[in-house]
Amino acid sequence: MNAMDPTEVFRQEASELFEVLEGALLDLGQRPDDRELVDSAFRALHTIKGSGAMFGFDKVASFTHEFETAFDRVRKGEIRPTQELISVALAAKDYIRALIEDPQSTDDIIGEAILDDLRRFVSADQPAAPVAAIAEAPPLAPVESKQAGWHLYLEFESHILRNGSNPLDLLEDLCKLGPCFVVPVTDGIPFLDEMEPEDCYLKWDVKLHAACDKDAIDDVFMFVQDEMKLTLSPLAQVEAPVPAPLFLLLDEEQAPVAEMAAPVVEVAAAQVTEQPAGKAEPKPEAKSETKTETKTEAKREERGIATVRVQAERLDELMDRVGELVIAQARLSQLAASGSDLSIKMIAEEIERLASSLRDTTMGARMVPIGSLFGRFRRLVHDLSRDLSKPVEFVTSGEDTELDKTMIECLADPLVHLIRNAIDHGIEDTATRAANGKTEQGRIELAAVHSGAQVLVTVKDNGGGLNTARIRAKAEEQGLIAAGAVLTDHEIHQFLFHPGFSTAQTISALSGRGVGMDVVKRTIENMRGSIDLSTRPGQGTTVTLRLPLTLAIIEGLLIRVGEGRYIIPLSAVEECVELTAEDERSRGRNFLNVRGNLVPFLRLRELLTASGSPDKHQKTIIISTGETRVGLVADQIIGNHQTVIKSLSKLHSDVTIFSGATILGDGTAALILDVAQLVTLAQSKVEKQHLSEAA
Amino acid sequence: MNEGLAGEPRADAMQVVMIGLGEEKFALDAGLVREIIDPVPVTRVAGARAFVPSVINVRGNVIPLADLRIRFGMPQLDNSADTRVVVIELNLDGEPVLVGVTADKVYEVTEISHTDVQQTPRVGMHWKPEFIRFIAKWREEFVIVPNMERILN
Repeated sequence: MNAMDPTEVFRQEASELFEVLEGALLDLGQRPDDRELVDSAFRALHTIKGSGAMFGFDKVASFTHEFETAFDRVRKGEIRPTQELISVALAAKDYIRALIEDPQSTDDIIGEAILDDLRRFVSADQPAAPVAAIAEAPPLAPVESKQAGWHLYLEFESHILRNGSNPLDLLEDLCKLGPCFVVPVTDGIPFLDEMEPEDCYLKWDVKLHAACDKDAIDDVFMFVQDEMKLTLSPLAQVEAPVPAPLFLLLDEEQAPVAEMAAPVVEVAAAQVTEQPAGKAEPKPEAKSETKTETKTEAKREERGIATVRVQAERLDELMDRVGELVIAQARLSQLAASGSDLSIKMIAEEIERLASSLRDTTMGARMVPIGSLFGRFRRLVHDLSRDLSKPVEFVTSGEDTELDKTMIECLADPLVHLIRNAIDHGIEDTATRAANGKTEQGRIELAAVHSGAQVLVTVKDNGGGLNTARIRAKAEEQGLIAAGAVLTDHEIHQFLFHPGFSTAQTISALSGRGVGMDVVKRTIENMRGSIDLSTRPGQGTTVTLRLPLTLAIIEGLLIRVGEGRYIIPLSAVEECVELTAEDERSRGRNFLNVRGNLVPFLRLRELLTASGSPDKHQKTIIISTGETRVGLVADQIIGNHQTVIKSLSKLHSDVTIFSGATILGDGTAALILDVAQLVTLAQSKVEKQHLSEAA
Repeated sequence: MNEGLAGEPRADAMQVVMIGLGEEKFALDAGLVREIIDPVPVTRVAGARAFVPSVINVRGNVIPLADLRIRFGMPQLDNSADTRVVVIELNLDGEPVLVGVTADKVYEVTEISHTDVQQTPRVGMHWKPEFIRFIAKWREEFVIVPNMERILN
């Protein structure tokens, strides 16, 4: 279980590369002259091809190769990436993805068709003027292929041999490209007593006298490029080719040929130019002369900040363990507090501090920037806008906002629904927009932002807005409200979340079936989040999702009601006040006066059917969701509690006022109050009261 | 759990955990039983259905505690020295769910033979027939093999 299936590793890597490729292609549609984008798309393709071949995905490799060849002309700036070309390239990308993920379902004919399309675009499209980009770009492949050769400076990380890579094999491969003049650079070799026999200290300076492509050279070093520095510069034309191919094979331990190395290094340093593909940084000569020790130290630091791939399940497991630790720590703290042993108290405090920082670190490790999710929707918008012939500009912001990875996964489907809705129903067609004096191109904004202990994700369109009258008519038609009932716009919009509710007069392939919004709402609420709609007629609709930062552990307020102890999520708590004698006496009205504002309150003793007699001084915890505030009356406020959330089983799914349970310091379970549900409950009570007053 | 069993189980036999509820004996399919624990403090869930009135903490998991006595209309006894919680794993709507079941006494793990199975009589029972898988004879006594999925759904 520890060793991951290499094919699986490839699949994971490929799926990340696909995201890069797709992103680059889509951006290219907006900014066709951006060389960076072309290069990053090309790099992704190249890596897919290389690792595909390595892991035995031969079809992937050969198809990608064809794709790459066709795309190469775009890279060389000979063709402009048109919208059509990008569509074909996206189709090609999807095909490669299918080849990797589900080879059985693919058909060679489809692949051929896509390639034909690609080739047709790149060959038919002989540009009248070979585009401005070619002039701006640094002299690339077309120029390169005409020159006399390449000057390479190779520097491998010292541990390269331990990974099973052999620099000599690579040099041999390089020699196959053409006559090579190889000089080892030995200035990195330490004294014998400092030498690690398994480290590679040699560097090489190579003059390759062959008119080969830069890619051919990159191909040679493809699998070690992260562990080496490759400085590449074209050989000057004037330099005469070496009389005969000469290849010096030197053993690692062999005596240095210092006199030979020195002048060549100088040449290398003088000719260093930045490599366009950006894989290797030009290496200043001074650095190569620094002591080996300092260099390895620096390398170690570099490796330290590198990312590590961890299976998601292991993170989940880690979170579970931390949860158990927090519970055990709570028990220890309780035990220590009840005893009088000072040293145990100190240890308990120390462990409390460690557990809480471990919790934060673990949760941090589970946080993923939401940008990885946003990227997926660009394709969706691109396709939808093409299919519906509604030009749409897609703007995202707050991509680096971090959310728990489980939540990111759960968010994908709801956001697809919301974005589809926004384009299909929200954005008007071009004619309507023009008639209303709007820009022809619609606009969808997807944004994420931190707001206290919550993350707000908004989907905003600048379309026609919700048709409140139509929603109302539909709700009356479906018998959800009585005709003529007095409702605010906000209340009417809530019907959109009703199962099976759709106002679309025609059902399209995309939306209008009335499934969706209720699912969206349920998914969001399952994550302990909430969803909110706001709309302005003629100007657009904004859907706001409010999500908690994490699903696993929250800060809670522990309270006691009768014999039972309950948790209220601290993020919802506004303040705690004492229930005054006056409030207590008036059984008829359930309102508090909080600094002049009327706040309805619920007696938790009644709600939770607590036994025993109430405490003399009842406390009120004011909670809020959105704009509504509600007081909860409890017997006692015990204090803060690190709450590890455990979900309630199916057998209790009918109990809505609890969102989960947790385990307290003494090992008993305590239930977590669902704040949103309590507020709804309070509101309905208030409404009932109004009704009974009116009657 | 299988300790004290003599020999291999016979193919036509069913291993059961024999528990006592009030005056009756019930046989729970041993394959469902995960563990048997001493009673732990319970947390009442307000508004829950009467036969799953509370939750308990079993090794870090919060699981519902079911009371079969309520489903079978028996009087509830106070916890005694013999009271145990039998933790069983059920498949409810395709999902495995752990449930604790209060037993007034746990007798033993034993085998009942399929040949001892009796037809559930249509008359003479005050229990809902769908709660009962079958009735078997064990040591000259009739024991009920309950249908836990039905009882808890």
